[in-house]
Amino acid sequence: MLTKTMNPEKALKLVGSSPVRPDGVPKVTGLAVYGADTSLPGMLWGKILRSPHAHARIKSINTSKAAALPGVKAVITGADLPDHKFEYVGPERVAVNYWHMTRNIMAREKALYEGHAIAAVAATSPAIAQHALELIEVDYEILPHVIDVDAAMQADAPLLFEDMIMRGVEPAPTKPSNVSKRIEFAVGDIEAGFAQADEIVEMTFKTAAVHQGYIEPHSCVARFGADGQCELWSASQGHFVVRAYTAKLLGMDIGSLLVHPAEIGGGFGGKTVVYVEPVAVALSKKTGHPVKIMMSREDVLKATGPTSGSSMKVKIGVTKDGKIVAADSTFNFQAGAFPGSPVMNACMCAYACYEIPNSRAVGFDVVSNRPKSAAYRAPGSPISAFGVESVLDVLAKKIGMDPLELRLKNAVSAGSPTAWGPKHAHDGFKETIEALMKHPAYKTPLGKNQGRGVASGFWFNGGGESAATVHVNEDGSVVIATGSMDVGGSRASMALMAAETLGIPYEKVRSTVADTASIGYNHVTGGSRVTYATGIAVVDACKKVIDDMRSRAAMTWDVSIDDVIWEDGHARVADKSTGDHAPLSLAAIAAKRAVTGGPIVAEAAVNAGGMAPGFGTQFFDVEVDPETGHTKILRVVAAQDVGRAIHHDYCEGQIQGGVVQGIGWALNEEYIYDKEGRLSNAGFLDYRIPVASDLPHIDVVMVEVPNPNHPFGAKGVGEVNIVPPMAAIANAIEQATGKRMTSLPMSPPKVLAAIDGE
Amino acid sequence: MAPAHVVLTSGFSRRYTNGIKEFDIDATNVRGLLKAMDQLYPGLGEILEEETAIAIDGELHEVVYTQVIRPGCEIFFIPRIEGG
Repeated sequence: MLTKTMNPEKALKLVGSSPVRPDGVPKVTGLAVYGADTSLPGMLWGKILRSPHAHARIKSINTSKAAALPGVKAVITGADLPDHKFEYVGPERVAVNYWHMTRNIMAREKALYEGHAIAAVAATSPAIAQHALELIEVDYEILPHVIDVDAAMQADAPLLFEDMIMRGVEPAPTKPSNVSKRIEFAVGDIEAGFAQADEIVEMTFKTAAVHQGYIEPHSCVARFGADGQCELWSASQGHFVVRAYTAKLLGMDIGSLLVHPAEIGGGFGGKTVVYVEPVAVALSKKTGHPVKIMMSREDVLKATGPTSGSSMKVKIGVTKDGKIVAADSTFNFQAGAFPGSPVMNACMCAYACYEIPNSRAVGFDVVSNRPKSAAYRAPGSPISAFGVESVLDVLAKKIGMDPLELRLKNAVSAGSPTAWGPKHAHDGFKETIEALMKHPAYKTPLGKNQGRGVASGFWFNGGGESAATVHVNEDGSVVIATGSMDVGGSRASMALMAAETLGIPYEKVRSTVADTASIGYNHVTGGSRVTYATGIAVVDACKKVIDDMRSRAAMTWDVSIDDVIWEDGHARVADKSTGDHAPLSLAAIAAKRAVTGGPIVAEAAVNAGGMAPGFGTQFFDVEVDPETGHTKILRVVAAQDVGRAIHHDYCEGQIQGGVVQGIGWALNEEYIYDKEGRLSNAGFLDYRIPVASDLPHIDVVMVEVPNPNHPFGAKGVGEVNIVPPMAAIANAIEQATGKRMTSLPMSPPKVLAAIDGE
Repeated sequence: MAPAHVVLTSGFSRRYTNGIKEFDIDATNVRGLLKAMDQLYPGLGEILEEETAIAIDGELHEVVYTQVIRPGCEIFFIPRIEGG
């Protein structure tokens, strides 16, 4: 059993410090090249016609007038893209159905949400392309639509797919529905468990769909050559996955598509899929010109994946001394227009912080006339946590126990069972609770209309496939390359790990992200996996380079490589009895590279396992204005187990960023649809994400319980921080007002209505 | 050598192993484990390889042939997770 702490044999010199990021200057001076910044000679402008209807059958599309417009070089519809077999490919949670995916890229039989792509044009200017869209004639048969998840589950709901039979139920239903699948995780004896409880609380909750809110809209440039070779410049969380999806959707060989990673202006899970890339490639192929497509903010909100909205029922029982004995929950998740919500994750994460001997979590994946959901920071976990952590707060009050104490009493550690089978293998959760218990602000008295709420969260964290190369230059500087898009400062953390391993200054390492033709496969920058998995690849490559340099030093000294050690950036003889040789620095060895064998370079590839999960516990102090219902966040203290912080400030920034997005989810963000199923707030003026003036200082407490499977003990830090805020804020509002909020967002009108007893 | 104790999810066991959830398998690495499962239920090895992650004494791993199976360890095949 791997557990507890890891004590490094020697103190680390660089890991844990906070140097300036390599991409910092280009970003603050405006020189960084994002997806929309690339332009090529002869480039055309692509634009996409989108459905004005939430649900409509496409009877016909007439593109002839658009195609005849001077300056228009091509018009395409779904019929111009290859169709795909209806089948789910890959693991259940992440199963891809290309029949669905190609229809999300461009509608075929039906438009399934407002904003669904119908056709695309490429023209010599954006204005001509826009004019051409207006000339495309689409004959729609408008169909009844359904937006809300509970409404979509009703027997008489309009069906998005007339042949969709719910999976995961035996015998299979005989009638179609909007429910794509049912899943269940259960352990123990639910009824017997609740029979042991002294207090049982059952509540229902609703959460709104919320967008990832990245500042940079999706954009790309494609150039399809006459030789069949294609290049694509795209801002994404994973250019290898963009390559794989785009090639598959268009029937291309993967090797014929080279994807360049542009800088990315935020993703948070929403840029792990493709929208405009296959369209741009298809238009470029048809015209023979490069084609650029840029989404507007309205496009982003209407046509790209938010995370799911949901409804849920949560029932938990405790004994009077605070032992959780049973839990039973049902989670209904909006998948959007195509199956594939993160409801399985929600079920698996719901009770993952606690030892509960009897539990059941049932999930339903439900389609409705909204954009297809996409991953968003710890996908699914924040939603189930809102229900579970709210109910735990009510139970703590019922038995008169401090909410942190209740959590600590039931907290998992290495060896604790999970609801999905295996035992936990790592500690780290109790330590986050204890960190808050010791925090001086936790006992600070509150004023009138103020409340304090706590909540905890779990996220798996990821590993998986990564590759890295290390090149030692002739002057002793080093270039490292990975294929992991840098979303949150990973170039800096990779450089820190490389410099620490090689024993050279951070400033001597240039850290880059390579294109798909220049390095081996790297999975997406998501799932809090890059510092862990790509970090292992970087360290492995550095170790290979060290072995190479030891070999070259041995050759220089006429000794065996076994007699040479690497220490503090130098090759040294292990034992002076083999000769009195002055240490050779990395730079000295590099200077002799030609005569010692040529370039000093190493590549490492991993499919990393052994990742440790993320645990976080947070408390929020709020003040609620009883006249307006406005909730002001007064204080946030966020404790999180990070394993070991590689770049201290960027770990802190990840935690603060997750908290801020959680505050927006809790208090303001929601999609507002009119009665025709059209989105009424498709812009940042009306879809309100938090801004700096909404926020207090977010106090981060980094708990370090190292993961011994990583060379420096790192655990993923990017996601679990978004899990606790919604419940913690609801719990704080309850303490401030006496009113329990069960529906997100807890916007001023809703809070005011609760205060007024409406 | 004590065999590894292998557990499947209810869904997998219902679909592929006639409801049998637990197995004792002699294997020293994941490749050997998959091969043994495939011999018991032809086709199951490939399904497990493509659709699951593996927890070895609680430690989560991708399915990688060379991953070592320690004697007497507990192994769960669980759904693969993808984050944001």
